[in-house]
Amino acid sequence: MCGIAGIIYKDKKTHNVGESLTAMLESLQHRGPDSAGFAIYGGLDLPEDHYQLNIEVKNKPGLLNQLKTTLTQISPIHNEELIHSVDNYAVYKCEIELENYDLLKPLIRNLDKIEDIQVINGSHSFEMIKDVGLVDDISKRYNLNTRVGTHGIGHTRFATESGVDRYHAHPYQSYITPDITVVHNGQITNYWKIRDPLERKGHIFESYNDTECIVHYMADKLNEGYKLEEALEDAVNDLDGPFSILVGTPTGIGIAKDKLGLRPGVMAENDDVFAIASEEMALQNVIDTEYVEQIAPGETRSYTI
Amino acid sequence: MKEYTIDAKNMDEKELNRSIKKLAKEYDKITINNPQSKHNICAGLREDVEIEINGSAGYFVGTMVDGPKTHITRNAGWFAGDNMTNGELIIDGSSGDGAGQGIYGGTVVVRGSTGSRTGEIMKGGTVIIGGNSGFMTGLLMMGGRLIVLGDVTEDAGESIMRGTLYVQGNVKSLGKDAVMSPVTDDDIAELKEVLEHYDFQVDDYSQFKKITKG
Repeated sequence: MCGIAGIIYKDKKTHNVGESLTAMLESLQHRGPDSAGFAIYGGLDLPEDHYQLNIEVKNKPGLLNQLKTTLTQISPIHNEELIHSVDNYAVYKCEIELENYDLLKPLIRNLDKIEDIQVINGSHSFEMIKDVGLVDDISKRYNLNTRVGTHGIGHTRFATESGVDRYHAHPYQSYITPDITVVHNGQITNYWKIRDPLERKGHIFESYNDTECIVHYMADKLNEGYKLEEALEDAVNDLDGPFSILVGTPTGIGIAKDKLGLRPGVMAENDDVFAIASEEMALQNVIDTEYVEQIAPGETRSYTI
Repeated sequence: MKEYTIDAKNMDEKELNRSIKKLAKEYDKITINNPQSKHNICAGLREDVEIEINGSAGYFVGTMVDGPKTHITRNAGWFAGDNMTNGELIIDGSSGDGAGQGIYGGTVVVRGSTGSRTGEIMKGGTVIIGGNSGFMTGLLMMGGRLIVLGDVTEDAGESIMRGTLYVQGNVKSLGKDAVMSPVTDDDIAELKEVLEHYDFQVDDYSQFKKITKG
């Protein structure tokens, strides 16, 4: 099934997005127990040439030092943190400096070549937190209640394809253009038809997961100059299969639902907040309104700040 | 009238439904506070009991019920009243896809708007939507009457076999096998009776269109 949730604060100020998304996803826990994740925008406040890396590291003597040595050959390391996770792994979070954004993806691919190392993501304007297990456990493990931001998206996963691990937890990120993320409930049935032209343009796929395909599709559209709403409308026309996809960008969030409306999506808003979720129960945790709108088949909704 | 109030805040769905079924044998009315959009509320309930849900219900509220009169003060999720055989489900707000799906009897009333596939495969009974209804309203209807006071979108009455879909507002398009005709005097009398019973105000009943199998 999978549960999706997104929230954006209209005043453009930072709020406790980590706490809000945790509450939303906890109420959607029944939609998927395998993994959960968050992309929280607007709270990192990094200098222009700084990027945050989240790297999965196996608990193995000397491996973390090997990783740090590799990293320091490229950039000084700032604000590092090691978060112990399950299955004999930890997540190493750090901040690095790069001359330009184009160096980020090659760096990630180089780090991934180290045995038992997998870069979960690298970002400038948002923080990615995702792990295997239940929402509450992950929220506590990563202190989600301390994470502020202007907006964010989140996901609780019922895995129907691909492995159950940190990398395959949502959100997925694309590096075609900076800081685009997607969470997804559903399946894309014309996967190769979408992937093939993206690969011909030189975009690199790391897996066969359909959500990765969607995030590259969305990022490619945004990179071509489409507005978020336009990219979502094209997604409805181009993607086949049952889906509700929720996209995060540095300035907004938006949802697209398949033409037959086979996956759920509801939204509510007031003067302060615009929120989207799989079910109303998630909205009730962040917005006090009786007016809940059903996202119609083939409909898109977005809000940018 | 013997009444009982349940606070559902810290109850899981099974615990809540077990309590409802047990209390329904002893009480005439059960009020459920803090429903928190929980799924399957009142599923399979077969007592002639009055249920008041103070808030929103989730998916499959009132599924497979036979007898209870349920009132929801806010919204409902997907498949409200699914497979009901007898009773009444009234939703003051909106509901998700598939409201009144597969009902055999009884009445489902949504005072606001609904999502897609309202009244899908319904075999009997009455479904009334006070607002708009989405894609494929009346999909594969096999009986009963489905009344929409607002607009319906694409493919209304898709593959309808029996039963009648009445729409007061605009019909964006008809589905396969569906035909639309004006309402007759008998239709108007029937609509007037049922809509006035549920306090709907209609100025001109002749605006209704009737959609059936062609």
